[in-house]
Amino acid sequence: MTKYTIKRLLQSLVTVLVVATIVFLLMRMLPTDYYFTEDQVMKLTEEQKNDQLLAAGLLDPIGQQLLRFYGQLLHFDFGVSRRIQTGAPVLKVIGTKFAISMRLGCTALVIALIIGVFLGVMQARHKDRIFDHIGTAYTIFVNAVPPLVSYSLVLAFGAHVLNLPTLYSTRNVGKSSILPIVCLALASIAHYALWTRRYMVDELNKDYIKLARIKGMAFKDIMVKHVLKNAFVPLVQYIPASFLMTISGSLLAERFFSVPGMGPLLTDAITRYDLNVVQTLVIIYAALGVLGVFLGDVLMMLLDPRIKLADKGGSR
Amino acid sequence: MRKNTARLAALALASAMVLTACGGSSSQNTGSNDGGNTDAGNTSAIKDLVTYEAPIREQEGFFILNTEKAADLNVLCNMYSPLLEVDANGQLRAAVAKEWGTEDGGLTWTFKLRDDVKWVDINGNEKADCTAQDWITAMEWILNFHKNGGNNASMPLALIEGAEDYYNYTKDLPEAEAKALDTSKMLEMVGIEAPDDYTLVYHCTTNAPYFDTVMTSACMYPISQGLIDELGVDGMIGMTNENMWYNGPYFETTFTMNNEKILTKNDSYWDKDATLFDTVTIRMVDATQQYQLWQNGELDNISLSEADLRTIYDDENNKDHAYLAETRPKKFSYQMHLNYAKNNEDGTPDTNWNTAVANEAFRLSLYYGLDLTKYWSRSNFINPLHNENVCYTMKGLLKYSDGRDYTDKVQELLGMSESDGEHMRRYDKEKAEAYKKQAIEELTAQGVTFPIQIDYYIVSGDQNALDTQTIMKQIFSECLGDDYVNFNIKTFVSSVTKEVIQPGIHSYYISGWGADYGDPANFLDQERYGYDGAYYSKNYSRINQATDENLIATYKEFSDMVEKAGEICDDMDQRYDAFAEAEAYMLEHALTIPVQYETQWQLTKVNDYTKMNAMYGAQNYTYKNWETSTTPYTTEQYEAFAAEAK
Repeated sequence: MTKYTIKRLLQSLVTVLVVATIVFLLMRMLPTDYYFTEDQVMKLTEEQKNDQLLAAGLLDPIGQQLLRFYGQLLHFDFGVSRRIQTGAPVLKVIGTKFAISMRLGCTALVIALIIGVFLGVMQARHKDRIFDHIGTAYTIFVNAVPPLVSYSLVLAFGAHVLNLPTLYSTRNVGKSSILPIVCLALASIAHYALWTRRYMVDELNKDYIKLARIKGMAFKDIMVKHVLKNAFVPLVQYIPASFLMTISGSLLAERFFSVPGMGPLLTDAITRYDLNVVQTLVIIYAALGVLGVFLGDVLMMLLDPRIKLADKGGSR
Repeated sequence: MRKNTARLAALALASAMVLTACGGSSSQNTGSNDGGNTDAGNTSAIKDLVTYEAPIREQEGFFILNTEKAADLNVLCNMYSPLLEVDANGQLRAAVAKEWGTEDGGLTWTFKLRDDVKWVDINGNEKADCTAQDWITAMEWILNFHKNGGNNASMPLALIEGAEDYYNYTKDLPEAEAKALDTSKMLEMVGIEAPDDYTLVYHCTTNAPYFDTVMTSACMYPISQGLIDELGVDGMIGMTNENMWYNGPYFETTFTMNNEKILTKNDSYWDKDATLFDTVTIRMVDATQQYQLWQNGELDNISLSEADLRTIYDDENNKDHAYLAETRPKKFSYQMHLNYAKNNEDGTPDTNWNTAVANEAFRLSLYYGLDLTKYWSRSNFINPLHNENVCYTMKGLLKYSDGRDYTDKVQELLGMSESDGEHMRRYDKEKAEAYKKQAIEELTAQGVTFPIQIDYYIVSGDQNALDTQTIMKQIFSECLGDDYVNFNIKTFVSSVTKEVIQPGIHSYYISGWGADYGDPANFLDQERYGYDGAYYSKNYSRINQATDENLIATYKEFSDMVEKAGEICDDMDQRYDAFAEAEAYMLEHALTIPVQYETQWQLTKVNDYTKMNAMYGAQNYTYKNWETSTTPYTTEQYEAFAAEAK
């Protein structure tokens, strides 16, 4: 287990380093005009532009720039933002947003897990009855309707019936977080309900469940101790990644409710050519993705001792 | 199972409460119509204003000398005090400088400063006195290449004696050495001095009778050496609302990127007579959300999209119908900048277009032949002609000594009559037909094929821009005919400058100029031939790359007229007359074609006619001396404000 863990961690590090290198090289392939704002491109002379590029080290040989970049990475120095917040360290820009996205995302995920799994269990237990049909209708509705429409419905209901604020506000965090959380949870509830129901229905049809029933085991015990536990194993591997990726925020929900989170940051940074921010975000997301998969594997292994990842040479 | 359900529900609720509670306080943030922000002394005025800004216009920096972005300056002008500021009629008035003037026709300018202006931190703790030295420190920063990277330097470089020499001097120094410079070397080289703590003298490169209006621009704001010492030279660009020093009317007490900014009144602000809000909250709100927020009482003013305006305007029973208010024109004068050296998308010259646009009859057929009323209706269908622009320079920028507007003179020279409020004045179907016929004859002989393709670029995915340009396409088709021109709407991905203007693939581009200072030169210089500082003719019209001799001769004639007008410094009326003649010449030859002003409709509790309103500088968003009401202003009230302002 320890050997496997170390091996996977090292593999993860290499993956992240490769991603970082690719992103760095891609950014450097952009024309140098992207270093300047629209106004600067028009107003600065070629000589002035050249002076600025020289001062920023962007005219150095690419190998030299790459080595400097690795050196900075080693010191967790991701540079400063040039557009999103002029002159501010990138980690500071991200740090303020990260906490907000994670708080809203984790809240929504906890709610979604509890309600979604509960809904899935109930649907499986009452398969083909009215509760199952309602659950299925909800799942289809959430998946079929564009998020913007369902968000608008939530917003209209929240604002007009419950009198909730329609925009996130730092001065009223509690109340103004409710609608974004509900919207974030909507799709996840459907996801967890759908898969919990499916895995549980599969389990319910297996022979060991039939045997347990014949042996006279209480249906409630069968559901909780056997069916749910086994059905949960395939779901559990995605949970760590889901929690970690809440850091990345939700582009749509955060834009819709003006949440100052991570969601729109990557697209903003790309459209405004804030290269340091783009580089850092891609590295962070790559690291989170790799870590999420790794933790999912470990968690699955802990829940189900039959799974021996190490025996398969580290691959699933 | 029921117990389990209850447990699960309780757990979900508890988790939600725990996780959401981590964020901070829970005080309510609403617009003013909840009645909670009325002043005990003046129950009809808003004390805590809640306004908006578009999400794409987020503040990026806090250092006023380092930014040229309107989105930054609209906020920062509330945190710093200038030497001079403007009033609601666009006239200069004293600010930190209590007196100012020139005795040699604008070559030397002296400013006498107040002695009660303080720099304070975000908590209101006094940090230093604000003195003339702070403008000298600021000038050193602007002109030091390694400190400010050339940002905001163009005006000082052009106007202040020795500025260019000092700029080049610092550029040639090693970075560390340049960053270590104090103001002594600059004082030796540059025409700026402080005979005492409260007197500041600028020496201009040439007579600049308008130099005092430059004081409203970001490049002429102060900075304290004490702050530089505190943050370090490298820490200045990245200063934040929390570690910067303030000497303006407000602190920026909250900055939550992509969400909201809260400005809080600075009690140590020097202008004790000014009416300030207790707080101003600027929320980042998409245009599609504004009306919803207004209805919820979460904003005190909104601009209306065409769709929302139509809904409200067409229904007399709509609760907002009686409160529709027309905005004042913004400071931008929009022009159709024709591209005289257009390329195809593959980089080859678009000879067909370039030949056509160099032909004066073709340009004049566009000038007289396009009825833009429908185009103006996109933002103001109630009074589309309020967007009518027939000049190059923005109206309201300048006044003659008798109070007459400079653009009235240009209109007189162009033979424009007063607007009847119904018809576009420049549109002349007969003239357009005659020029069209002449252009077809002349251009056919030159081998031009018809219809001439006109390429206009919009950002991809912008439905509003697409709708607007679809109307423009209709206008071209209806007014000039599909046999003559064919209007193509094309798209770019994200950067119009880098994807369209620089490669020169546009036939024309509509862009609005907002002046940096109060002189016609700041407008007309942008169109000069062979002039490095000519933003539009160099970049958008690409005139320096054009080859048609007649066209170049016309441009040179215009440029000479502008240069000569600029040499008149002793009599401002004469100076304006000369510029007006140059401008009329440019328009008569349709070197550019005026398109529009920017007015629209709004719902508001703010009287726009009490805001600072200059057609130059960076101060119009200063939340100072604004008249407000806790209930929205009615249409009649706004019409009365407009009539009074005239």
